[in-house]
Amino acid sequence: MRSIEGVGIGLKHKHLQQFIDNKPDVAWLEVHTENFFSQDSTAAKYLAKISQYYPISAHCVGMSLGSATTKCPIREQHLQRIKNTISWLQPSLLSDHLSWSGTENGHYLPDLLPIPFTEEALDVVAKNINHAQDVLQRQILIENPSSYLTYIDSPIAEWQFLSSLIQETGCGILLDVNNIYVSAHNQGFDALEYLANIPVDAVKEIHLAGYSIDNIEGQEVYIDSHGHKIYDGVWRLYEQVIKRFGVLPTLIEWDTNVPELSVLLAEKKKAEAIILKVVNAEKVMNDQAFL
Amino acid sequence: MTKLAELQANFFKDCLSGTLTADNTTMSKDIDSHLISAQGLMGIYQHSALANITTSLSLTFPVVEKLVGDDFFAQVCRQYILAHWPISANMDDYGDSLPQFLAELEQVKQLVYLKDVAKLEWLFHQSSLAKDSKYFDWATLAGVAPTDTLKLNFILAPSVALIKSTQPINKIWQMNQDNAPQNIELSIDGETDTFIVLFKRGLKTEMMTITASEFFLLQSLFNGLNFEQTIEAVMASTATMGADTSIDNILKKHMELGVICGFSI
Repeated sequence: MRSIEGVGIGLKHKHLQQFIDNKPDVAWLEVHTENFFSQDSTAAKYLAKISQYYPISAHCVGMSLGSATTKCPIREQHLQRIKNTISWLQPSLLSDHLSWSGTENGHYLPDLLPIPFTEEALDVVAKNINHAQDVLQRQILIENPSSYLTYIDSPIAEWQFLSSLIQETGCGILLDVNNIYVSAHNQGFDALEYLANIPVDAVKEIHLAGYSIDNIEGQEVYIDSHGHKIYDGVWRLYEQVIKRFGVLPTLIEWDTNVPELSVLLAEKKKAEAIILKVVNAEKVMNDQAFL
Repeated sequence: MTKLAELQANFFKDCLSGTLTADNTTMSKDIDSHLISAQGLMGIYQHSALANITTSLSLTFPVVEKLVGDDFFAQVCRQYILAHWPISANMDDYGDSLPQFLAELEQVKQLVYLKDVAKLEWLFHQSSLAKDSKYFDWATLAGVAPTDTLKLNFILAPSVALIKSTQPINKIWQMNQDNAPQNIELSIDGETDTFIVLFKRGLKTEMMTITASEFFLLQSLFNGLNFEQTIEAVMASTATMGADTSIDNILKKHMELGVICGFSI
């Protein structure tokens, strides 16, 4: 299993051939695990070749760790499929979301739905993460959610909820900067306060993405659409993230209206420039302190 | 039911409710709606879930989407999703009943080929996900005693799918691919049967039109008939068996292609 460093991009089907043919200069790649469940599928064969040249992070969307049912046959089957996939893919990192998708009656919503931050939910999510880590035999990173609504009964702050999960399960954090930015706007909290309360050592990966803006009943709602370039506000917040958490593997995510690869590579360069800026500034400060 | 389970059941119910109003939004008692109404907020999630599933169906049925247009495809998907909600997070499993759903839609009744094109796309999708098979073991076959030949059960590769249609769905499919050839002649008269086999070769799934004899032979093998029963079934199904479509030739061709991947006695 190779270590992951620097800035990676999400590997999309339309770019598979380019990665086989040209091996573009990218530090690592992230894939949605669910897209490669069939090891003999055409896409999985491409990925197997590509993974010979690039470290891979496997990002899941279907564990439904916030589902109230702690054991459900369909989710167990899903976990087994993830286990099969990571056994041949050998990803350096494995992650899913602080969200739910499946209900008790076996229905599935293909979305990352918000959970209320209650003691009951904390207990459920912790059990589900522990179970997933037991089945998969490795640590998983939990991604902070983007949210458009606030539950009336949700007494625990999101960052406190995440911190408690880290303590109870030993999971890590995949810090999605865009999600913090989007949720801070939609729910009216302070993104910097959020960052200040996330345990530094728990963060193992960072996501950057673009959002879209919907006008609903006269209010601007930021939608985590992953279909745009990264906004300036998110880049500024990313700079703060690097300052607080250090240089961590950073992903450029783009899942809808996927553009040409060159657009993703340009976003990657922007992230690298910010990392360099922060690292150089810290070096100057350290040098001055030394003198 | 726990409080969290009840909340999630209500959330799901709202996503499945079609048009949300102040009266029918179950989640209104659970979410802060001082800036945007509960139905407005739940509408974001409903829209997002439907869009995600529609995108998945669009990836599986790209030709159907081209044939009916993006807007109508999205409308049909919405109706289909609300009637057949996914039960698994693996969206590769989702959409098997869309061909039949399309066949029952009044608005596309005149597109007589649509159901079979959708069926072709579904089988193509499934074929591309199927397990690989080994190459045919010619040496072992050569060692089979002549007296045992009729008892052989030939095995089709896991990626093989067969489809018969009264419409030229192979040509319709080809015409709607990127970089499709310009000179495809199409006649939708419903009078000529089209027989197709799908199978994986290397990295790609291939679509090949075959004769009626080939189709019935492969279908017999698919149904588990042994070689003797297969011969009887093919003879019964096809009126003519010319020299170029002899059973030996058909078998050899499909063994070489990898459609038939093995045998047992």
